[in-house]
This record gives sequence, C-alpha cells and structure tokens, in this order.
Amino acid sequence: MGDLLLEQLTWGNALIFFLSAVVLLMIVLGFVTYAIYFERKVIGWMQLRIGPNRVGPFGLLQTVADILKLLLKEDTIPRKADRALFILAPVLAYVPAFAVLAVIPYTDSLYFADLNVGLLYYVALSGITTLAIVLGGWASNNKYALLGGMRSAAQMISYEVPLVISIVGVVMLSGSLNLRTIVAEQGNWFWEWNFLPQIIGFVVFVIAAVSELNRTPFDLPEAESELVAGYHVEYSGFRFAFFMLTEYVYVYAIAALTTILFLGGWHAPAPFLDFVPGLLWFMLKFACIVFFLFWLRATFPRVRVDQLMGFGWKVLLPLAILNVFVTAAYIEFFIKR
Amino acid sequence: MFNIEVTGEFVAFFVFAVIIISGAVLMVSFTKVVHMVISLAAVFLGLAGMFVLLEAEFVAFVQVLIYAGAVSILMVFGIMMTKHQAMQDEPKRPVHEALSAIAALCLFGILFYAIRITELSVPEQFQAGEDNTMEIGKLLYTGYVIPFELVSVLLTVAFIGAIVIAKKEAD
Repeated sequence: MGDLLLEQLTWGNALIFFLSAVVLLMIVLGFVTYAIYFERKVIGWMQLRIGPNRVGPFGLLQTVADILKLLLKEDTIPRKADRALFILAPVLAYVPAFAVLAVIPYTDSLYFADLNVGLLYYVALSGITTLAIVLGGWASNNKYALLGGMRSAAQMISYEVPLVISIVGVVMLSGSLNLRTIVAEQGNWFWEWNFLPQIIGFVVFVIAAVSELNRTPFDLPEAESELVAGYHVEYSGFRFAFFMLTEYVYVYAIAALTTILFLGGWHAPAPFLDFVPGLLWFMLKFACIVFFLFWLRATFPRVRVDQLMGFGWKVLLPLAILNVFVTAAYIEFFIKR
Repeated sequence: MFNIEVTGEFVAFFVFAVIIISGAVLMVSFTKVVHMVISLAAVFLGLAGMFVLLEAEFVAFVQVLIYAGAVSILMVFGIMMTKHQAMQDEPKRPVHEALSAIAALCLFGILFYAIRITELSVPEQFQAGEDNTMEIGKLLYTGYVIPFELVSVLLTVAFIGAIVIAKKEAD
C-alpha cells in the first residue's frame, strides 16, 4: 500500500483506492454486525441470560435481521422538526467516523494513509460527530432529544480535553504524530510498549475514550431511564441505524487507536513470538479492548451528570497534565536525545 | 485563454473554493441562526482543505479541531438555549441594498484589476519541511518562544476571567 500512495495518481490507482475503501467499509460493517451480536451474548452471559439464540445457528443472524428491520421501517420525520438539519445530522455523524479509519495502520505494510499528523487528524475529525449529535438533538424539536444533545455536547467537550492531553505523553516519547512511527518506536518486548511507561496516560485515555464513545458508565446522552433515548428519540429506520453505526464504528476506531498508541500495534509481546503475523497480534489486542468495553457495559452503573463533569475536569484533566510534566521530566533527565 | 493544466490539485482547489464561497454566501442569506452556524462550519472545513493543498497539514487539522469542531459546537450550544424558531427578520431597504451591491462590485473590480496587473515575482521553489509539524514545534520553542508564552499567559488570564465573571453571576 505504501508504494502505491507515492505513485502518480492515475485512473487505475484511483480505482484501487476506491475499491480498498469499499473493502474497508465492508469489513467495518461486518465488524459492527458481529460486535453487536457479541456484545449481546457477552452481556447476556455475564447477567446469567442466554442472549440472542433464535435467528440462525446460535443466533448469528440476529443482528442481520435487526438491521433489515431497521432498513425496511417507515422513515418518519416529525412535522415540526427542522427538516434539512434532521436529514443532515446522521450523515454528518457517520462521515467523520468512517474518515478517521483512514489513518489507522494495521501492520507495517497495511495502511491506508501515511499522514504525518495522523493523531491530530483523528482527534479533529471525531469532533465533527459531536456537532452532528448536537444538531440531531436540536433539529428533532423534542425536549428529550435536546437534553440528550446538550448533555452530549457538554460531555464530549469536557472529555476530549483529557483525551488529547493524555496522548501528549505518547507523542513526546515517540517524537511524532504519525501513528505508524508511534508503533514503530515501541519496543519488541511487551513492557516496552507505551502502556507501562505511560500508565497514567493510559488510564486517563481509556476512561476518556469510554466517555467519548457515550458508553456505560458514561452513557448519559442516551440515558434511557431519564431521557427516553436521548438525542435520537425522534429518529427511526435507517437514520437511526446510521447513528448506531456511528457509535460502533467509533468503538472500532478507539479500540484500534488504543492498540496503536499504548499496546504496541502489530508488535508481538516477545521477540520469539515474531513468527505469528503482525496482523493477528493487532486483531488480538483489538479484540481484547472491544471485549473490555462490553465488559464495562455489563458491570457498571451509570454515573450522575454532576459526578461526570466533576470527574472530567477535577480528576482526569489534572492527572493528564501531571502525566505530561512527569514525561517531560523523565525525558529531560533520562533519555535526552 | 486559460493556460491551466487540469490536475487533481486544480480540481480539489475548485471544490474547496466552491465549498468556501457557497458556505459564506449561505451564511449571510440564511434566516435561521443554527443554519448559519452550519454553513460557517462548512467554510471552516473548506479552509482546512485549502491548507492541506498548501501542504500545511498541521494548520489544516488544527483548523478542523478548533474552528469546525470546538467553535461551531460552542455557538450551537449557545443558540440552543435561545428560542427554537429564532428567525432574523430585517426590514427591506432597497436603496441601501442597491448601494451595497454597487460598492461590493466596485471593490471586486478593483481587487480583480489589481491582481491581474500585478507582476508576481516567481518565488524560489518553496521547501516544505520534511516533517513540517516538527519544524513548527522547533520554531515555536526557539525563535518565537516569548510570543508563544505571552499568548499562553493571555489565554490563561482570559480563562480565569471568564470563570470569575460566571461566578459573580451565579452568586
């Protein structure tokens, strides 16, 4: 992929780029379908239930059936809603979610874009989705949707700050914003990966990431017991499906980003395990993080809105800043290139 | 007449230019405030695209992060608190509008003429740094460290000031 990116752009190359984007889209859709199935199964088992088991063998086709149902549903737009924005919001939410996947490197040679500010690209584009969620909540002209949208804006802005600052430590250690360089800078033994030297940053990052994903215990924007469903109350059919899809594509993106930043990307945990291809190690780490997210959802209660804000600004932000200082001091005294 | 080679860069430039100009025009002509903010966000995104074309990726994505993301959300957030059907109705002033149109056309004419007659010196081949983000960082912390620190102090002062004002109103 790397050599292809540097070649002159011809129609043939453009076709290859287009096709690889389509393939990635298919992979992501497949991931989302089975992530939802897996999530329901895992949470079912953790809560001593069985989970979906009726449609297809072991319920494997349950999500497919659900998606088909959503696509065939009548598409309703409330009469008093702001029609244009109501239609625009799901699109505006999904496009950045898919666009951020462009900079994720899967192995040393398998990546889609080699951007020297890859990390910044990810953070910047994911902010656009927040705008879309707020707009969707506002355009629905429904008080629950508006409240959900407001909460979402407040939460995502508050947690984006510690999220970005917690990454700064990693950037300082590897001296680059390029995600491929960040992986390459991490060592071959698992204790040389960033999650141990950057343990504070790692913890802050994971907490802030769960919050950015609007997942339990931080799923206040769609707290069903308080807000019916939050910002997407008025959405149905494929527009609702788009919001759900956005959420799960961000699960994919965050899991991949955590793997790259803190868990050594495609590196094997020990040099003698190198015979296993890097892509498999990447997928294994990726799957562990996805499982961790589902595990959190099954076992944690939802936090209150004032606790959420207080925690973000008074605990996570100082910790993230402290991490930057500690890393700077460490580099100054021990590494100093 | 147009001795211009149609390249991908050229096409991209025109796409971004159309986004910026139509966003700006719509921003002025929309009546609902939220719609205005969205077209403003489109202008910011188009500008970011222009920065990418100029090989200034860092500035481009900071533009998306700060303007298209944070500033737009802040504005929508503020507007959402106000009346939902807020429309901006202005009285019609035909003479005023005609005069503004003539003035705008004149300004465009002058600028266009000035740009056309100016002999632009051919710049020596611009060397974008291998890793321009790194170069920006180095410059900020060597040559421009005092302005940089001053700006950060200014931002902190503004931040604390905002908190103080909000506190005063809360009491």
